[in-house]
Amino acid sequence: MAIVPWRGRTLPVATLTSLREEMNDLLSRFWSHTSEPFGLAEWSPALDVSETDDAVLVHAEIPGIDPKKLDIAVVGDTLTIRGEKTDEAEQKGRNYHRVERRYGSFTRSVRLPAVVEAESVTAKAHAGVLEIRLPKKEEAKARRIEIKAD
Amino acid sequence: MAKPIDVPVEMNHDPLEPPESYFVPATDVYETADELTLVAEMPGIQPAGLAVTVEDNVLVIRGRPVAEAETDGEVLLEEFTAGEFYRAFQLPADYDTERIEANLRQGVLTLTLPKSERLKPRRIEVKVD
Repeated sequence: MAIVPWRGRTLPVATLTSLREEMNDLLSRFWSHTSEPFGLAEWSPALDVSETDDAVLVHAEIPGIDPKKLDIAVVGDTLTIRGEKTDEAEQKGRNYHRVERRYGSFTRSVRLPAVVEAESVTAKAHAGVLEIRLPKKEEAKARRIEIKAD
Repeated sequence: MAKPIDVPVEMNHDPLEPPESYFVPATDVYETADELTLVAEMPGIQPAGLAVTVEDNVLVIRGRPVAEAETDGEVLLEEFTAGEFYRAFQLPADYDTERIEANLRQGVLTLTLPKSERLKPRRIEVKVD
């Protein structure tokens, strides 16, 4: 018979405690991945952000949203897009077979990678895609430095 | 190095055959007394890049972005990409596929299929002598 080191009477309790801790840890890790599991989170538009030498470009997917009802704001280095996706058509007498589109109000903010001219920000929407162009401030623009050679 | 040649999908292509890679548009489907309506989200798709076909009661929706989105500069966040949309639905034989109405607005495609006359609820008048 193998000789097992004796850990005293606390052994079963300790095992249970650690098991419980492990379970708690497992559960908290499981839930922590998304704030709203199983797709219950409210809809918000997908964003693409890119940066050129003189501007920051933000594209957002806003299918079915009237661009005039969007609220776009730049405060400091943060761009915020607010809006609501609604189904405006008459709902009465509809028998739904499939509901995959998601609706609701949303707020999305992104930290901008450079200081922008808030007054010169332009936004246009086409075919359900919003494009926001944020020109960089002069001091944030990339500058090429010429090297003088004798 | 030779570049791969981009063959337009519309050419030499069976409309029922799905493209190699595509997005599945989120679609609501509902029925009223008179018609069946499909509402599909296809952001970035314009009428010129849209094709809706019905063959043997299979409804196929395809959409290609006409122009690639401007992608110059450094990409900092990419949550979506421009690409082709594709989805096929098997329709019951109860709809008049000759009279489908398609409407594309703000990246949302709405298709309306009227019910065949024989399926519409009908009120039968009782004649009284």
